[in-house]
Amino acid sequence: MSIAYLGLESVRQLKNVRSLVFTFAVPLVMLLLFGGIYGAGGAFDKVTGLPWIVVTTVQMAGYGGMMAALGQAFTIVTERSVGWNRQLRLTALNGVGYLISKVAAALVVALMSIVALIVISVLVFHSSLSFAGWTMAALGLWLGVIPFAFIAVLIGQFAKPQYAQPLFMVIFLGMAILGGLWVPLSILPDWMSNIAQVVPSYWLNRLGQMGAHLSGDVLEPMLVLLAWTVALGAVIVWRYRKDAARQ
Amino acid sequence: MNTTPAIQAPAIELRGLRKTFGSITAVAGIDLTIRPGEVVALLGPNGAGKSTTIDLALGLATPTEGTAALFGEAPRAAIVSGRVGAMLQGGALLPDLTVAQAVALIASAHRHPLSVAEALERAKCTEIAKQRVSKLSGGQAQRARFAVAIVSNPDLMFLDEPTAAMDVEARRTFWQSMREFTDAGRTVVFATHYLDEADAYADRIVMMAGGRVVADGTPGEVKAVVSGRRIRMSFDFDWTPAVEAELYELPGVRSVERRSDVLSLVSDDSDAALRTLLSNHDDVHDIEVTAHSMDDAFLALTQAAELPAPLPERAQRVEGPDSTPFDSATPRSGSSTSTDDDTALIGDRS
Repeated sequence: MSIAYLGLESVRQLKNVRSLVFTFAVPLVMLLLFGGIYGAGGAFDKVTGLPWIVVTTVQMAGYGGMMAALGQAFTIVTERSVGWNRQLRLTALNGVGYLISKVAAALVVALMSIVALIVISVLVFHSSLSFAGWTMAALGLWLGVIPFAFIAVLIGQFAKPQYAQPLFMVIFLGMAILGGLWVPLSILPDWMSNIAQVVPSYWLNRLGQMGAHLSGDVLEPMLVLLAWTVALGAVIVWRYRKDAARQ
Repeated sequence: MNTTPAIQAPAIELRGLRKTFGSITAVAGIDLTIRPGEVVALLGPNGAGKSTTIDLALGLATPTEGTAALFGEAPRAAIVSGRVGAMLQGGALLPDLTVAQAVALIASAHRHPLSVAEALERAKCTEIAKQRVSKLSGGQAQRARFAVAIVSNPDLMFLDEPTAAMDVEARRTFWQSMREFTDAGRTVVFATHYLDEADAYADRIVMMAGGRVVADGTPGEVKAVVSGRRIRMSFDFDWTPAVEAELYELPGVRSVERRSDVLSLVSDDSDAALRTLLSNHDDVHDIEVTAHSMDDAFLALTQAAELPAPLPERAQRVEGPDSTPFDSATPRSGSSTSTDDDTALIGDRS
């Protein structure tokens, strides 16, 4: 695993701006819409104790980061369909190296999305939160995005080009709804908030809120995210080794 | 690490290699040893198992049975150390990169690559270095893939139908850069279904059909097997056993077939056979002389391979036109084979 490869690969993914615009536009519109509805009055959310506008911003930045990371799935599907992975298997790059390069690229685009959404929210709504609060919120969200980067690589490795889009939609919608990224969990039935505890998107949101709060018990979310990361990572490395045979 | 046996180990050693996909057997038991410095053509029709054999040799697919080793070690280890390069089917470059970017990206994933400029130069890609992969012609794209394959400075190169999408000029350029590569004593295995390509560039031809090696020898030896031409004509004379015997006596004749009033001969010396025939018979007309197609040869060789083999190995070395393995498919083995060069230059190009 060479640093040069990691660098070239990340720069290459960043140039792929077209996919970024789409993953960025939807959360931006939702932020402006919901921010205008809930945030204007400066009301506080009773559950989290944060201003509504902060809750909404964290929600949308998490959503944007998640979409940006998941969007890497399409890049990988395209690369595989032309046989690029067969080419890579003829190099010294191993399964772990492949995993790191792909996750790194996904995390870079995710961070851009998260930071951009927070900056826009601050500029438009003058949301009141300390710089440290926003920084930690962004960092929390970024950590929370890691499992989605893994999920993206996995979709990319398994999906045939014609199934990538529907598979992406199912996983993405399921994650967004179950994790409370669209609708606050407090207004959903109890059984759904129980399921949410094991879904990475729930913890993505919670990590962002904890960051904004500059407090909270991060042990449980870390364990859940770590479990997802390790399990997904193992499957990805295994799949990379198997994937090189002709389709 | 660098022990003497590893240096002397065969470039490729396949032992009892088998690969099945469900009920389909793609590779049905291959034993093959290729020494360093050999340039070997894997010749066979589509579906013969050439590409699967290459995938197995590279460790890209897992054999159902048997083993593959490159330079005496596991294929993956040889690839990691950069000793193996390959241009595979279904292994295209990313369309949005330029040729130089693609080479640089792959180079960065190798441990001790050549410089990008040198790889481009060796593959004759310098003038297309700045072009996007998606804009390349078929021949240019193959050259770009060769640049990517050569960037690890390999000792062994696999090429799976490297000239499939090339026109004549592109093929010439490609083989020229390949010559420069092999002149340095490196090993090349290329799959093709063009006999002329195998003949011109390989010093050993391994013929495959039905997942097996059906012939293995120098181009001269293999050419002798697939040489011969078919003479077809209509005749007005009466068909008698005596006439048939006479036809068999014509120079180089291997087989005689008759369907109503159309006669078909296969001869290793079609010119002489035709001259003799016409001097004895003026009652034949609509004469056609056609080259033996590769399909005919493969069919013959496959049928020979499917017979119960008395020897431990199914594949036998070709000793020459009189060798036994092919007699079952060609009942009357020709006595003398004066193989002129163009007789054997039979491709199945259309």
